[in-house]
Amino acid sequence: MTVATSRGGWRLLSTELRRRPAALWRLAGWSVLEIAPTAASGFVVARAVDEGFLRHRPGVGLAWLGGLAVLMVVGAVGARRTFGSLADIVEPLRDAVLAAVTAGALQRAVAGVERPNAGAVAQLTGQVEAVREITAALLMTLRKFGFTVVSTLVGITVLAPVLVLLVLPPLVAAVVLFWRLLVGVAPRSRATMLAAERTAASIGTVVGGVRDVVACGAERRAAAEVGAAVDAQADTERRLARLESVRIPVVALGAQVPLLLVLVTTPWLVGRALATPGDIIGAVTYLTAGLLPVLNALVQGVGSLGVHLGVVLHRLSEAAVVPEQDAPVDPDRPRDSRLEVRGLTFAYGVHADPVVHAFDLTVVPGEHLAVVGPSGIGKSTLANLLTGLIAPQEGVVRFGGVELPRIGPDTLRTAVALIPQEAYVFTGTVRENLGYLRPDADDAELDATCAALPLGALVQRLGGYDAPVAPGTLSSGERQLISLGRVHVSRAGVVILDEATCYLDPVAEAAVEEAFRVRPGSLVVIAHRISSALRADRILLLDGTDAHLGTHVELLAASPLYADLVGNWTGTAPQLA
Amino acid sequence: MTATASPTGAPAATQATPGDDAVGTDEAVGRARRRAADRVLLDTVRQGRWWTGALAVANVVVAIGNLLTPAALATALDTVLGSARGASEGPLLVLGGVLAAGIGATVLLELTQPYSAAASTVWLRSKLVDRVLALGVVGLRRFDTGDLVTRLGGNTATASAAGAVVLASALSLATSAGAVVALFLLDPLLGAVFLVGVPVGLALITVFVRQSSELYGRYQQLQGDVAGRFVDAMAGIRTIRSAGTVSREVDRVLVPLPELSRAGRSTWQMQGAVTWRLLLLAPLVEIGVLALAGWLVTTGRLTPGDLVAATGYTTMGLVFFDQGSILIALSRSRAAARRVAEVLSDPPAAPRSGSAVLPAVGDGTGGELVLAGVTVCSGGLTLLDGLDLRVPPGCAVALVGPSGSGKSTLAAVAGRLIEPDAGSVRLDGVELSTLDADELRRAVGYAFERPTLLGTTVLDALGYGIPAPVPEDLVAAAVAAHADGFVRRLPAGYDTRLADAPFSGGEAQRLGLARAVARRSRLLIMDDATSSLDTVTEVQVARAIEHALDGRSRLVVAHRAGTAARVDLVVWLDGGRVRRVAPHAELWSDPAYRAIFAAERVDTVASSTEEVSS
Repeated sequence: MTVATSRGGWRLLSTELRRRPAALWRLAGWSVLEIAPTAASGFVVARAVDEGFLRHRPGVGLAWLGGLAVLMVVGAVGARRTFGSLADIVEPLRDAVLAAVTAGALQRAVAGVERPNAGAVAQLTGQVEAVREITAALLMTLRKFGFTVVSTLVGITVLAPVLVLLVLPPLVAAVVLFWRLLVGVAPRSRATMLAAERTAASIGTVVGGVRDVVACGAERRAAAEVGAAVDAQADTERRLARLESVRIPVVALGAQVPLLLVLVTTPWLVGRALATPGDIIGAVTYLTAGLLPVLNALVQGVGSLGVHLGVVLHRLSEAAVVPEQDAPVDPDRPRDSRLEVRGLTFAYGVHADPVVHAFDLTVVPGEHLAVVGPSGIGKSTLANLLTGLIAPQEGVVRFGGVELPRIGPDTLRTAVALIPQEAYVFTGTVRENLGYLRPDADDAELDATCAALPLGALVQRLGGYDAPVAPGTLSSGERQLISLGRVHVSRAGVVILDEATCYLDPVAEAAVEEAFRVRPGSLVVIAHRISSALRADRILLLDGTDAHLGTHVELLAASPLYADLVGNWTGTAPQLA
Repeated sequence: MTATASPTGAPAATQATPGDDAVGTDEAVGRARRRAADRVLLDTVRQGRWWTGALAVANVVVAIGNLLTPAALATALDTVLGSARGASEGPLLVLGGVLAAGIGATVLLELTQPYSAAASTVWLRSKLVDRVLALGVVGLRRFDTGDLVTRLGGNTATASAAGAVVLASALSLATSAGAVVALFLLDPLLGAVFLVGVPVGLALITVFVRQSSELYGRYQQLQGDVAGRFVDAMAGIRTIRSAGTVSREVDRVLVPLPELSRAGRSTWQMQGAVTWRLLLLAPLVEIGVLALAGWLVTTGRLTPGDLVAATGYTTMGLVFFDQGSILIALSRSRAAARRVAEVLSDPPAAPRSGSAVLPAVGDGTGGELVLAGVTVCSGGLTLLDGLDLRVPPGCAVALVGPSGSGKSTLAAVAGRLIEPDAGSVRLDGVELSTLDADELRRAVGYAFERPTLLGTTVLDALGYGIPAPVPEDLVAAAVAAHADGFVRRLPAGYDTRLADAPFSGGEAQRLGLARAVARRSRLLIMDDATSSLDTVTEVQVARAIEHALDGRSRLVVAHRAGTAARVDLVVWLDGGRVRRVAPHAELWSDPAYRAIFAAERVDTVASSTEEVSS
């Protein structure tokens, strides 16, 4: 993954922040209140010293300090309220980023751009959380730095304008230097993050595959590979440390050099009556109690946090990209539910052998077709082609006389249903799951489906249509039954079962296929067992290079492979007797 | 995951933990574990060597510099204010020197901290990786895979930070204590005022830690809810895709969002409340000290410079409150070290290897495997109970039995992925535990139900662990396992990177099979290694494997009757013992034997054939 440019990520953040100006202004307002005691501190100390303690009037001095104490209470109230405003900024930010990332990731998984991956999902949600926390930390640090610097400079100006000339130039130099360092360190910082990710991946592979490592006798190789990743990470960390240690003198330049300058010039300033002793003590207070801590916080925190946020935002902005969908502008309506394939050729890659080659097929309404062939030969790919989920390299697929890309997506998805092997059941009620494709289905229709499929017992056990379903508590077969019921109750004219009954027992499988066969529309079964093929009107045999179409009897005669396979099964039959 | 987590069929939860049988010694065990953890921590910190030493020096210099700064500042301030005419540069130079030394030491600190941590982490990780690999499958009985990854990745890094954390804690404590002493030295009253505020602050910190863990727990739970829905939708992506319902799914994933937002706001509010209290306390202590110092200036007991110094020492004394976060970091390091120590030093012991070699046999010749009185126990369960078994040279033997009968455990013992608690396992007359480790892995190959493919490319994965693999042999093995076809259809064929080629269960299984075939071992153990293949493919693969492995011995865990029908001999296991040994055809007349396949996964050849023939 490239992280060289993280501009898209920052744009994501700034767009979201700009949407909430009111919260930002509130945060600024409460911050002014929070900073008030710091802003006043030097001035108050100066007056307390000059007019009170140095003139032997402790009452006056204490009165000034009492005023500061009041301001501190006010400041504490302000500080407390800043968190409310902060929540108004970062909570909606997290909501927006999470929504964008969820939509992006699901849309891209649906478009087949990326393979769904549970690890990647966990990483994404973790990164969204990092955005929330780091943005909050950065906002708090940066606004405190900004307000403190301004109020310190104003305070010193009020005490003795000449002092600002001593404080401002080194401070500006320090901030400029800090920015330059930040830019210089950022790539190294990114490299460190990437190295850590590579180490984690390497550890994950070896630990996850420890049984296989041992069984292959490859312990030394595995240890060496993890060791190399760990060493590489340590290397980048050391390199980063060398670069980052340079930032410490920035603090000295920004806060301690002004302090020394003020002290060195004090005799001259006080002698010329350009500043009182109280002014000097006030300025020292501003520099040591105001400026130094915030400069430290800026230098220690902002650098690494900023880079981390940049990388994470970049990742998330990539994850939030929604692929373009090309729906036809003026879609044609299918005339019926006849499925036609003409001259179809498809391969995984440009250089790969085609999975199917110049292939013709027609499935008429009411027909029952079985597809058989070895695992990994492209049966699921064929299912995706027939439903228009992927486009063929050559040839066309027509539904109701219309080429699939010319049909509106909603029409096509409603008319052609694909049930994959991995059944999708989500947390919700039985009704929500069964009515997924037809939310308007009434109880009578659901009852009919439950009776047709062997689904009634399961629904009853779960507690009826309005009972909740927890996917994790269902067996694979039960999940398949629910997703089969969902399509059975739908209005789809073509149903494609892609090994959708593989976890059911043979009796249940036969019942399911029968239920779909008598249902209006056509049925395509990608078979896991040969028994599925024997029930079909016609059988399509894929052997990797060619496609053979015919009835069971025709294929037995025409395809040695088919005869061989069926013969093999029946070959064990005598033992049954 | 389940396949790797409990390869012996033993649920991890039933593992006995030390102390189960000796309730009275729980405390002693806990103490011993903490000691072991602290020992690991100490060893780890030592690996920083002179970087850690330099870090300690830097910390001491920084502490001294911090403590001297207010005093030096006060002296300098009094000097410049008191001698408006004709200043003495001495105190200013001292202040400059103290500040410069502080900066130098801080730079050193910033540099040595990551260097020492990196050295520690590298050492600890390498030690732990070696241990995990030495434990092998045995380790997975006790630790979940994800858990081990966390221990190796995150926990080692956290534990390695311990040195820096301890030093930072010492620095913070020393600075605070020194500052309080300095306040007392300036004037005992100042120190007394400061000390009054400290107990209040401590109480606040305790409240913070307690409240925050509850609120964060709620927040994390809701986050987990969102992530769970997200993962669910991803798992059902093909259904969502074909149903065209992706936008509805996005909404469903985000259902807990308002609740999450509310929980998030509570955490910020809690932080605000705590900050507010701390902000009230800290400055009020400062104002108290400052007011007292001001009064003391009036009476002449303190100089104006001392007033600045008093403020500085008060702030420094309050650094003590950072101790809360440092203590949390330290307890985190110790907890991490404990998790690392559990892997490093707790039982089970890693299996040891001998140096024996096997008697030479010709290439393509099978070995003879003899198990005698093999017993395997785990978590109070007896998985194999005094089991005897012989795989004659060049024969294929199937293990058949209901789940929990010990098939996978037997397969694991036969190639010494785990060791028997009693009995002997001999290959060509040599006890496996006395064999040289490399010799053993050359002699025994494994193919699993869910193999993990390791290496860079597909070709590399096939030759993984083979010292000098010959590409032609690897391709031949792929052909035998019926993997050649789909591999050639990949964008870059055999040179396709594993990361770029996500394989289906059936494809991964065939590659795992090819990897095992390529090893040309005298014994091949197949643990349900063709279960993801449809019946058509399984027949093809089985035939090709028979041909490729002609003459070598095979031990096959079989769930399908068809698999059992194709081997020379079936060993029928029940409850960790051998029930019968006979050819499949002979056993088939026994209804109890047929019942095994009926209860097993439904896609068996037997059930298909029954339908076909009926």
